[in-house]
Amino acid sequence: MLTRRNAFKAAAGLAATATVGVSQGALAADKSIKVGLNMSFTGADAESATRVANGAILAFDDANATNAIKGYKFEYVKFDDGTATAGQYDPAQAATNAKKMVSDKGFVAALGPQMSGAGKAMAPILSEGNLAIITPSSTNPDITNPKFAAQYRPAGKAIYFRTVATDAFQGPNMANYMAKTLKIKSVYILDDSGAYGVGLADAFQGQIEKLGVKVLGRDRLDPKAADYASVLTKIKALAPDAMYYGGVGQAGVKLAKQSYEIIPNVIKAGGDGVYSTDLLKGAGFPAVDGWYATQASPHVTEDKSAEVFTTRFFQRFGTHPDDYAVTCYTGAQVIIQAAKNLVAAGKEPTRDAMQAAIQTVSLKGSLIGTVEFDENGDMKNKVISVFQIKKDTTKALDDTEGQYKYIGVAPMA
Amino acid sequence: MNTTTAAHPSAALTHKQRSLLLTIIAFIFFALLPKFWTDDGDLDSLANAMSYATLALGLNIVVGFAGLLDLGYAAFFAIGAYYYGIFTSFQVMPVWSDAWAPLAYVGLVEKLNQGGPDLVHFTLSFWLALPTGGVIAAFFGMLFGFPVLRLRGDYLAIVTLGFGEIVQICARNMESLTNGAAGLNGVQGPKLFGYRFGVHSEPYYYVGLLLVAFLVFVSFRLRGSRIGRAWMAIREDETAASAMGISLVNYKLLAFAMGAAFAGMTGVFFVAKLQTATPEMFNSAVSSMLLVMVVLGGMGSVWGVVVGAVLLQLMQTWFLPQSSEWLHSLGKLTGIGFLQTVDMVQWTQLIFGVILVLMMLFRRQGLIPAVRKVAPLTMQQQTASVVRGGFVGLDKIGRWAPGTGDALVIKDVVVKFGGLVALNKVSLTVPDGGVVAVIGPNGSGKSTLFNVITGLVEADSGSISFKGVELLGLAPHKVLEAGVARTFQNIRLFPNLNVLENILIGEHARLKTGPFGAVIRPPSVVREENTAVQWAKDIAAMFSNRLTPRLDQTVSGLSYANRRRVEIARALASRPKILLLDEPTAGMNPAESLELAEQIKSLHDLGLTILLIEHKLDVVTRLADNVIVLDHGDKIAEGLPDDVRKDEEVLRAYLGRSGGH
Amino acid sequence: MTAGDLFLQQAINGLSLGAMYSLLALGFTLVYGIMELINFSHFNVFMVGAMIAMLTLQAFGLHGQETILTGLPLIGVLLVAFIVSMTVCGFIGVGIERFLLRPLRSVKGPAAMITTIGVSYILFNVILLTIGTDSKNFPNPLPPITWEIGGAVLRLREILIWVIALILMGGLTYFVTYTKLGKAMRATAQDPEAARMMGVEVDQVVMSAFFLGSALAGASGMIFGLYYNLAKVDIGFASGLRAFTAAVLGGIGNVPGAMLGGVLIGLIESASGQLVGTAWSDVVIFGILVLVLVFRPAGLLGRLAPNKS
Repeated sequence: MLTRRNAFKAAAGLAATATVGVSQGALAADKSIKVGLNMSFTGADAESATRVANGAILAFDDANATNAIKGYKFEYVKFDDGTATAGQYDPAQAATNAKKMVSDKGFVAALGPQMSGAGKAMAPILSEGNLAIITPSSTNPDITNPKFAAQYRPAGKAIYFRTVATDAFQGPNMANYMAKTLKIKSVYILDDSGAYGVGLADAFQGQIEKLGVKVLGRDRLDPKAADYASVLTKIKALAPDAMYYGGVGQAGVKLAKQSYEIIPNVIKAGGDGVYSTDLLKGAGFPAVDGWYATQASPHVTEDKSAEVFTTRFFQRFGTHPDDYAVTCYTGAQVIIQAAKNLVAAGKEPTRDAMQAAIQTVSLKGSLIGTVEFDENGDMKNKVISVFQIKKDTTKALDDTEGQYKYIGVAPMA
Repeated sequence: MNTTTAAHPSAALTHKQRSLLLTIIAFIFFALLPKFWTDDGDLDSLANAMSYATLALGLNIVVGFAGLLDLGYAAFFAIGAYYYGIFTSFQVMPVWSDAWAPLAYVGLVEKLNQGGPDLVHFTLSFWLALPTGGVIAAFFGMLFGFPVLRLRGDYLAIVTLGFGEIVQICARNMESLTNGAAGLNGVQGPKLFGYRFGVHSEPYYYVGLLLVAFLVFVSFRLRGSRIGRAWMAIREDETAASAMGISLVNYKLLAFAMGAAFAGMTGVFFVAKLQTATPEMFNSAVSSMLLVMVVLGGMGSVWGVVVGAVLLQLMQTWFLPQSSEWLHSLGKLTGIGFLQTVDMVQWTQLIFGVILVLMMLFRRQGLIPAVRKVAPLTMQQQTASVVRGGFVGLDKIGRWAPGTGDALVIKDVVVKFGGLVALNKVSLTVPDGGVVAVIGPNGSGKSTLFNVITGLVEADSGSISFKGVELLGLAPHKVLEAGVARTFQNIRLFPNLNVLENILIGEHARLKTGPFGAVIRPPSVVREENTAVQWAKDIAAMFSNRLTPRLDQTVSGLSYANRRRVEIARALASRPKILLLDEPTAGMNPAESLELAEQIKSLHDLGLTILLIEHKLDVVTRLADNVIVLDHGDKIAEGLPDDVRKDEEVLRAYLGRSGGH
Repeated sequence: MTAGDLFLQQAINGLSLGAMYSLLALGFTLVYGIMELINFSHFNVFMVGAMIAMLTLQAFGLHGQETILTGLPLIGVLLVAFIVSMTVCGFIGVGIERFLLRPLRSVKGPAAMITTIGVSYILFNVILLTIGTDSKNFPNPLPPITWEIGGAVLRLREILIWVIALILMGGLTYFVTYTKLGKAMRATAQDPEAARMMGVEVDQVVMSAFFLGSALAGASGMIFGLYYNLAKVDIGFASGLRAFTAAVLGGIGNVPGAMLGGVLIGLIESASGQLVGTAWSDVVIFGILVLVLVFRPAGLLGRLAPNKS
């Protein structure tokens, strides 16, 4: 609020600010472990970017508060790979950020990016600089695929680590679940024309066809268009058992709303893109009731730590965490653990040492179970968890933890 | 190129020399920058800024030079990018056969085996892709330009916006070619003498710098040439440009092609640096941002758009994030909650919108205007008394109009506008070397007659032949080429160009320099330009010291009479065989009218054929051999001036049916 | 669902879209007819209208689709929301014209159009910065009544859209044909000079055109919200493109043309979604736009303007 008093303060502050330098979270006495947080803080994914980054911030601040590593404090620097022009993540900006991080010898590890498109641009650069990055949500399999190693890690070592399983598993495993457990005989597949959605839908389609389920059609949604009635009517006429949607909330919200009206009896499912607050807030009940979603990580159900985490997150940031906030929190914990291991063994947490430590780390008891990485950077524990939205009036209606009910693990292909 | 770094130390540098010096200093500064500014991320940012600068330069050609508002320019950026991407990545890999062997020999492809049959992996060299990318983009530029040629400015904008969207959608949907939304994998960086560029910014930075320098050079060369003048004429007044011999179709296509070529080359560079390409990189927001850069810098201004591009890029990548941090600190110090969380980067597009609006309202010429302010004439020059001019240089005009036959033969021409008959079977003849005047009350069809002769209006029937060439059906620029030049009733000059440039445009059809010649500037082109300029000055001298001291003044600032003179000079510059003057003395006082009449008479004495529309009867009497009278589209009288003045029909037409005296 | 049912349902879908596009195209064509200016900001005024309608309905305490009203309260609430969004949008339009476009009226070239592009950005980003990028649940108090026609479904809201659209279009036609200001607008559209000489206050006419056009955009925005139960900051562009094509197809500057164009585009969009797939819808629409502009720029109902040289 701009009162006269505040204005005076502002003027005085402006003069003072000009001479004061600012850094975040570093104290003079301890040595700092600098971590880059590269998310898409600008554009369509801005809100989720803040949520995701907050997961890491919570972890690092906790570590600093409890003096997790004697003599060291964690310092995190945010990088925005979104630009207003792109309206979302911008691969060129992501590349620039990667170069900045590599160039500054102070950075020993990084978290992010959210989107695989940014990851593709960043990976070769990070590889040259041997800077390890842990992504909480990038699921395109190409980046860690050994077939493309020459392109994405030219220096040889794995630097792109994930705390999620890739679409190579998320799609097909869900296909298994729907065919074997839900016993669907026919399906119509949609994607949202984005990099993630198309890849996921393709992976799903490949597997579901192998299982003998009839694919009645495949269509693409324009996230900017408002009206999906035409394609939903087409689906209605074909009367499939289920509809699978590969994509994120932008189109997902509209799809949920309209499919509820046009094809209420068709089973609706999606990937981790539809496990989000966006859907609960934007589409709301009754539209989203009954939707299936998956998460590319194990779900630790009755563990007290999950509830504690959610409560603390909400208390500090005022919003409920979603799955990527959890995987980012876990990623930060991996970094903290790796640094701990190094210091305990008497080594400096340099960039090279951190890469090696992260590669060999074994983080037990995290919110997604045990975290270990294979030689490509993927999680060893490739579990796809299946959820279904069931309205729970005892919990907040936009709380993903409350509304998405855990069903089980999707069968491995 | 100017080489005069003078031997006289006390001489002040001319504007051109000053610009050149500044350019060299700037170039050296940027060339040395990476040596002491080693942050790779910042260099990468600057390299991106250079890409935007070259894109802005290309858009400047289309929007700034030629006045064609292209809102989908990013499409050409995409085309260049995907061209290079597809031919160096692992996306398109046909099965190997021996037919590919010769290409492998020259290094364009290589045999690859990933398990399974042998495959062809395209390995197009970056250095080869750069120019060829430009050519391919230019081809698409013409392809997209062709359907929009006849559209008016606002419709052109919408259609180009549409093309921009279509290219992006195709990139997303044609997955086998582009890998769709996921983007291309493994695009190769450039290789120079075995050294692969890799991921460090420095080599890309230098390539970008050279690209900017090259394209700035090309822009300047085009601007100062016959090509640039033709584009600017189209921008200023399409109709007049066409009437002065500029083929609208060819030059609009050329503008599209040139602009597209710049974008195509930039696309190749950008993707080689980024090593991936996704459809979102080329969306309409990019096109809009480029438009803002051009508007901010100055439409038509070469340095302006470069500065505009760099400024906006700096704003986005440095100033806004930095100011967010300052505001956060300020917020912490003063406790104002809003300031602590504000993220200025989110305001980028809002700022773009505000820039567009403010620039249009308050500074349409941009930060660095294209048209340099020229010192106004001194008081002395302005009030100098008029000295009668000579016609020494103009005797060449007469040589173009020999013969003793009939120059212009108009037969039974009918022109209808919907139900209105503007010309009803009008016939007239203009003999070689003669002066014929067409008079008649307002609305009688005089200007329509001129328009139909020069191809601006279509005739429904009849024939117009000029020295044996049938004019009906020819485009206006072809009519000019045949030797028919005109002026307009309400003066159509090119307002933002100066006197010399206006006159030079008249010569367009008689010069030959093409785009390559304009850029390379071999001695033949330099000679042609010099001759052209001299000819223009000679013609201006015809009006004594009225035009000569004003050669570098923008015509929009001239007096009405002077503008009329410039228009006539422009028509004469095309070495016409017949001159069509539409009310040349309109708006002039009696003294000026008389002076102009004398000048026209002198032209006639040199052998020029003249067809004249005129109201002032004393001028008509002085000049014309033969007078034609039109009324409501009909020819009602013809004959010597004195006879026609007394003709009953004519009097009735002018004064009304009530008779009169 | 039989083939006939499918056809009918897609036709219903198409007509609903058509009603919205018609209204949006109408507002746009009103301004173009008088000023020969493509107003890029029109489609974001539409978006602002949707947002304002949403805020108004929320002020009544309505959230999501939970509260259902009927009868007088329903009509009252809707009426108030319509009036508020139309008036606010109308004033936004007038503001744009008065302060940003009037100074440029005599300037040749793309200056005015570029200004509208800038305004479009400003409107978009002001909403972006204040309300955010996510989809907002639009309050919808309409009872979910549907009718079945064979296997096809007709919803109350589809009827409502058409009723509102027809009322507005009828009102506009009446206004333009019979009232003094309306006739002045038509005169100015045909020949501004002559109109001025006949005593028409061109400034006033232009302002009225902007007010009406923007108010119509606001109404379209509210209808959008009621129909889709959502309001989002980026709804302007996609709908705007289609509405613009509709205006051009019908004949730009032509009131019945805008209505016809809107319906046609709505039906075409529905058909292309069924037959070709929505991935190519934009291409189809743009393709139509380009074809019309190149081969028949006057549109279906328009008349070619006399050759201005």
